[in-house]
Formats: sequence, structure tokens, C-alpha cells
Amino acid sequence: MGRRAGKGKTDKNKTDRKYGIRAGLCVFLLVSIWMTASDMYKMLPGFYENVIRIGVFSDSYWGVQNGYSYKLLEEAIVRFEEQHPDIQVEYVSGIVKEDYPEWLSGQMMRGKAPDLFFVPGEHFNDFAEAGVLRELTSFIEEDKEFSSERYYTSAYEYGSYGGVQYALPYECAPKLMFVNKSVLEREGLAMPGNQWTWDDFYHICREVTKDTDGNGVIDQFGTVGYTWEDAFDSNGVTLFDERGTECYLTDEKAKTAISFMGRMEELNRGYSVSSKEFALGNVAFQPMLFSEYRAYKSYPLSIKKYSGFEWDCVTMPAGPEGGNISRLDTLTLAMSKSTVHSQEAWELMKFLTGDEELQSEIFSYSEGVPVLKEVVESEENQKFFAGNFDSGNLGKLSMLSDSVEQAVVIPRFHDYDNAVAEVDRAVRTILEGNSNINMETIIQNRNINQYLKTKKSIY
Amino acid sequence: MERERERFPDLVLSTMKNLNMVIILYMTMVTVYSLSGYIYENSAMEFLIRVKRLPMEPWKLPVLSIGLYLCLLLLLSIRCKNKSHFLLKTILELGIVFAISYVLNFGYAGMVLLIIADTMSYFSDMKQRMLLVTSICVVYILLDYDLLSAGYHIVSTEDCWAYYSREVQSLLLGVRNILNSLNTIVFISYAIVMILTEVREKERIWGLNEKLNAANQELKMANEKLEEYARESERAAETKERNRLAREIHDTLGHSLTGIITGIDACVMLVDIAPEATKEQLRAIAGVARQGIKDVRRSVKALRPDALESLDLKSALIQMMEETQHSTGVEIVYQIESALKGFNKDEEDVIYRIVQESITNAIRHGKANHVQVQISRNFNMLKIHIEDNGVGCGNIQKGFGLHHMEERLDMLKGSLSYHGDHGFVIDASIPIRWGTEEEND
Repeated sequence: MGRRAGKGKTDKNKTDRKYGIRAGLCVFLLVSIWMTASDMYKMLPGFYENVIRIGVFSDSYWGVQNGYSYKLLEEAIVRFEEQHPDIQVEYVSGIVKEDYPEWLSGQMMRGKAPDLFFVPGEHFNDFAEAGVLRELTSFIEEDKEFSSERYYTSAYEYGSYGGVQYALPYECAPKLMFVNKSVLEREGLAMPGNQWTWDDFYHICREVTKDTDGNGVIDQFGTVGYTWEDAFDSNGVTLFDERGTECYLTDEKAKTAISFMGRMEELNRGYSVSSKEFALGNVAFQPMLFSEYRAYKSYPLSIKKYSGFEWDCVTMPAGPEGGNISRLDTLTLAMSKSTVHSQEAWELMKFLTGDEELQSEIFSYSEGVPVLKEVVESEENQKFFAGNFDSGNLGKLSMLSDSVEQAVVIPRFHDYDNAVAEVDRAVRTILEGNSNINMETIIQNRNINQYLKTKKSIY
Repeated sequence: MERERERFPDLVLSTMKNLNMVIILYMTMVTVYSLSGYIYENSAMEFLIRVKRLPMEPWKLPVLSIGLYLCLLLLLSIRCKNKSHFLLKTILELGIVFAISYVLNFGYAGMVLLIIADTMSYFSDMKQRMLLVTSICVVYILLDYDLLSAGYHIVSTEDCWAYYSREVQSLLLGVRNILNSLNTIVFISYAIVMILTEVREKERIWGLNEKLNAANQELKMANEKLEEYARESERAAETKERNRLAREIHDTLGHSLTGIITGIDACVMLVDIAPEATKEQLRAIAGVARQGIKDVRRSVKALRPDALESLDLKSALIQMMEETQHSTGVEIVYQIESALKGFNKDEEDVIYRIVQESITNAIRHGKANHVQVQISRNFNMLKIHIEDNGVGCGNIQKGFGLHHMEERLDMLKGSLSYHGDHGFVIDASIPIRWGTEEEND
């Protein structure tokens, strides 16, 4: 103290200046750190690039090698760049669908996430949960040109998570029931109509399930791959509340569906049917996506699979309290949370999902269904369909359009997949057990609710 | 020795700073390695699904954590003199610690101890220090992964480090915990050193205070003794003077009077028998009386001011004023219109004393630097007017000086008036009684 007081005034000024320099340096460092942390540095000259990158996979989303993998995208890019000459659009080619989620995650962790990327339906939840997707709410609200009404409600809802829109649908495919017409004809049964019910479904299955060669083993089956989820969807069951805090397994509709599943399983007398049996022509029904129907209906893929029998598709059978309703698989397009070109990315996103010409080409170059109602129901496509599927049920496009529009939209929430796995386990337990279904659903429901509660308390 | 003791806390503090740097580097590098591992081994998706959150890009971790830590060190090196600056600095430091903690996935927050250590050196007031340290501690406690993860969804260090095999993971976490404990230990030693230094300092100050008190006491006693001594010496001088006067009276007046009485007694007896002898005798007695009065005058002379002894009144006054002016630096302007001759000794004394006392008062009480003295004759009255430019005196309390002057003037049938509104003004009048006195003299 005495030492310092002894020093002169100039010394005091010197220390003040020294501290001032340090404080200034500190502020400068903090600002640079802030720029680095928030990716704001990417806006600085030298770092800025007017390039939008799109994350996409090389093969078809619907698992069919059709050779048109980048055709639609490239066409779209050319047209978009014409409209927006100041921005360049790029994509990385050669990533197969199987590696795509891993590639995308890796890019994200490296901080090199594409500005815009396709999100496969099964991974939408994971990405939304990881918080890597940009919320679209503000874009949707501010963009007067944008109208969510144009999309199929179900397809549009597919891009929402926890009540927030994170993605726009690009193409979709509803679940439909494949019917082996040859089996039905052999058994003298009529092809079910698009308004058919569980009773019709059960009736046909019971008639079909039998031992045809007389060796004592059942070799012809009613259905394969029909799950409790399909039954729940078509009986109007709401399994969880919006926020995923409660499960409604004790609901009467759910119990009806579980009993129905039990009755269906009894028909096979313990024999576990694989989907290979359907390809061999031994099963009457199998739920499949529309895309699969389209892929294998046309030559030459039809030769590869399902060639030994006549087949068609119908809607899913309606439960007593539901309708001919099924689920939708949707390929969505989402924006990266870290993009610095959000407005341009939004424009491109809107263009890819909402341009009629582009969407209409989905019918030609992909196996999915366009997500715009007006496109599916246009006269042009009516003709296209009538020409391609005249023999089948799908010749009438209205059935497809209705299936998509009415498809179930499940409210998704944090850890949804694990919650569903819990329900799956519960349903299996109920079906395998011999006890009273009422008692058992109450017990299982309590377990699931317990699970949901602990999950909430963790996050 | 003293310097070394002063430097020791600084040494501990810099050890702490280095240790924290090591911990931050360690945490960052281990995390960076694990995150890069996830990316290169194609388990990024699995990681994302598991932790349900996108971690920071690996290259950013060391850049941000080291950058922020440098900021913290810079801030810690600034000494604030101003309270609001200090508060701002502390809040900024806490913010930076939060940011570093965030970058480290809230796996380490020991930097808070650095801030506490720095803060401790600021306040001597225990209450303020406790308040501040407590609030910082609250922040420290809140910077805990488990607590924060209840409110916010964050990736934990353990989640990232799950990349390593179980054994390696326990080893890595163990090293982190050891480093963390080391940091705490260093902090505790710093606190102990600080407290010890402070206690020692307090003891030293207390000891100095004690010494000062003792010295004060001694000084007081010495002062009292001195005062007592002064009083005694005054008394002694008084007694001595009294004795001298008594001796003087006895030796001179007593001696003469005794001679006169004896002589007169002899004359009474002789007057009828031998008138001539009586006359002779009376002449002798008159001689004795004259001798007596001479002696009395000599005695009185011994009590008179020195200047008057050797000089006439006017010269004595001038000399006195000149000398005062010379010795005090106060400007004294005098104007003496009379020759001041023909006064008897006691009158001269009074005049001399009044002038001297007034000038002394003007200088001592009035703090004047200019005194004007005017002595003039108006018919048969001698007028003395003394005026100064000092502070004056609104409410005059007659001290010994004024009282004495009045008394002396009274004896000479003179008068005194004074007022102290602007400086101090004294007017004295003394009747002149020339004639008989002159003859006597």
C-alpha cells in the first residue's frame, strides 16, 4: 500500500491505461468468441458463401432403384437458380439411403450440416428431438404466399413435432392392403371393396386359413404383417395425449382392437407367418405402402416379385368405431438450425414441396404420392393413372387421394419411439396372457404411464 | 521476510490459474477426441439419438474454452478501485465462467473458486466479503450438471465420454476428479494463507495501537507535571519578590524612619536647653529623611521598565514601538505630537504601560498587522489613541490587561474608552498636572 501511494501520478495513469487496454482486449475477445460460437462469423466477408447445400440420398426413398435418383432435384435446382440468380444450390451425390442418416448426423456434429436436407420418415423424430431442425413457425406466419392448405393435412402434419412445424412434406405413401386375388378366387371369395370392415377381413381370413395339401400343417394364411398399430389406426384409437404424458390403453376402442388382434392370431393356431409367404402366393392380405405397390406393379419389377398370382390393393379394413384409415410414410424436407441462409433455404423448400409442375413429376420419376392435393387430383394425373393401373383398384385416383387425406396423424413427442415400444410390449403381453383383457389393460396402462412419468422427470 | 509473506498468496493464486488451465484443456481435449471419434467411427446418429442434442462442433470447443479462459484471466488481472466497476467485473467473470462451463458441458466449474479467491483480496470488511462470497458460492453450486439438466436438456460430459471403453472412461473421470480436488485444495490453502496474513496484520495493528496509547498516557502525565512546576515556580518568584520588597522597605525606609524618630526624640529634649544644638540636630534628621527618600526612589527605580530607566518617555516609547515592529513584523505607525516632558515617574510608567499593553493586545488577540498610535495634547489633557486593523472584539470581556489599565488611569484621575467593531480602538485621557510636581522633581 505504502509503496503504491509513494509512486507518482504518472504511475497511476500508467496502471489505469494498462487496465483499460486489458479490458478492451477482453471485450474484443468476447465479441470474437460470441461470433464464433453463434456462427455469426460465417456472415463476415471471407467466410460468407452464397451457396445453399442440400442433403439428399442417391437412391429412391421407397427402396426402388429406378435410375432417376437426382433427376427431380437437379431439375428443381436449375429452375430455382433461374429464379434466384444470386444464390447457388449444391448437393452432395453418392450417399446411399442406408448411410444417409449417419452421414447427415456426422455433418451436423462437424458443424457442416446442409442448409436443407431430406428427412426420412423414420428419423424425423430423432432429428426433431436432437434439436437440429429449424422451427418453421415464423416463416409460415410471415410468408403470405405460403398456404398449408394446399398440402394433404396428414402429410403436412407429419413434419410437426410437439406442436411445432419442423419440416414440409416432399412425397408420401399411404399404407394400403395388398390382396392376393388368386387366393380369393380359388376360395370363391369376392374381392373386398374400399368400405370393408374388420368383420369382412376376419371372415375372409378364416375362410382362407387352411391346410391345402393335407399334410396337417397350415400352408395358406389370411394375413401377414397386420399389426396392432394398424388395428388401432383403423378403429380410431388415440393412444397418447398430445404431450405424451398419458397412455389410453384402457380405452374401449383400444380394447376392441386388441381383442380383434387376439382373434386374428388364433386363426393361425400358433404358426408365425413371414412376409415371404405372401411373395410365394400363400397369403391373402399384407399391408404395404403404396410405393411398393407402384414399384412392383410395373414391368419389369413385377416379374421379380409377386409374379405367380394376380394382385391388387384396397384400403385398410375399418374397425367398428373407426374407418378405412391407415398410416402415412412421408419424406420431409427440413432446414438446419445452424443455416445462415434461412430465408433462401425457405424459398427453396417451398419451391421443392409446393411447385405443382415439380410435384406432379413425382408420379413419373418416383414411387411416392405428391403431397399437393391439387396435383394428385388433376385431370392429367387422372389420365396417367387410368393408363397405368386400369386393371386395378387404383385406376380410381380418388381412393388414393382419400387414403392420404384421411391418414392418421399421430401426435409425436419426446421419446415417442420408446413409448410405442412399451405399448408394443404391453400388447404382446396381453395377447400372450390368458387373463382378463380388462384387468390386463389396466395393469399395462399403469406401467406405461409410470414409464411416461419417469421419462418426463428425466428431461 | 515481509515481502515473501506478501508474495505467497500471489504464488498460490497463479498456481490455481495454471491448474484451471490444465483442467480446461484436459476436459476439452478428451471431449473433442470422443466427439471426433463418434463422427469418424460412424456412430454420430447413434450418439444423437442417445443424447438427443447436437453437441458443439469439435474444433470450437478448444477455441471457445481457451478464449473464454483468457478473457477470465485478463479480467482477474484488473484491479478495480471503484465499487461499481468491481461489481461489473465480478458479474462479467461469473458470466464467462458460466460460458466455459457450458462449453465443457457443465462438467467443471472450479473456475468460480478463482473468482472467489480474487474477490477475497478486495474487501477488508468481513460482512461485505461474506455477502459477495456467499452469492458467488450460490452460482458455483448452481453450475452443476445434474441440477441444470433438470431444467434444460444438455449433453453431459459422461454422455460424450461414453465413447471410451468403461475402464478408460473411469480413468478419465478419475483424473478429472483428482484435478478438481487439487483445485479445491489449492483454493483452501489460499484461503488459509489469506486469513493468516490478515490475522497477523490485525495483531500488528493492535500492538501498535497499544504502544501509541501508552505513549499518549506518558505525555499527558509529563504535561501535568510541567504545569505544576510552572505554577510552583510562579509562586516562588512571587514570594521572592515579596521578600525582596519587605527587605528593601526594612533596609531603607525602616532605617531612615528609625533614625528620624530617634533624632526627633533627642530634639524634643534639647529644644529648650540648647536651641542651637537642636537646629543642628534637625538638620541632621532632614539629611536622614532625604537619604531615606533617595533610597525609596532607588527601590522604585528598580521596579521600573528598563527603557524608561535610561531614556526619556518619548524615546522609550519610540524605541519600544520600533523594536516591536522589528521583532513581530507588524507595521506600527506612530504620531507623537507632544514632547512628553514634565511627567513624573508614575505617570510616565502608566503612559508607557498603556501603549505597550495595547500594542501587545492588538498583536496577540486582534491578530492585527497594522497598528496606529497617536499621542497628542489637548489643553491640559494628554490624549492617547491606539487603533488596529485586527479582528476586533464584538463582546469585550475585560481581561487583566484592560482592567489594569483602567486601575492605573483611575489613580491618575484619567479615563479610558474602547470599542472593538472594526479592529480595536483604545482612547485614554490623562490630566496634566505640571507645576508642583516639577518643583518636587
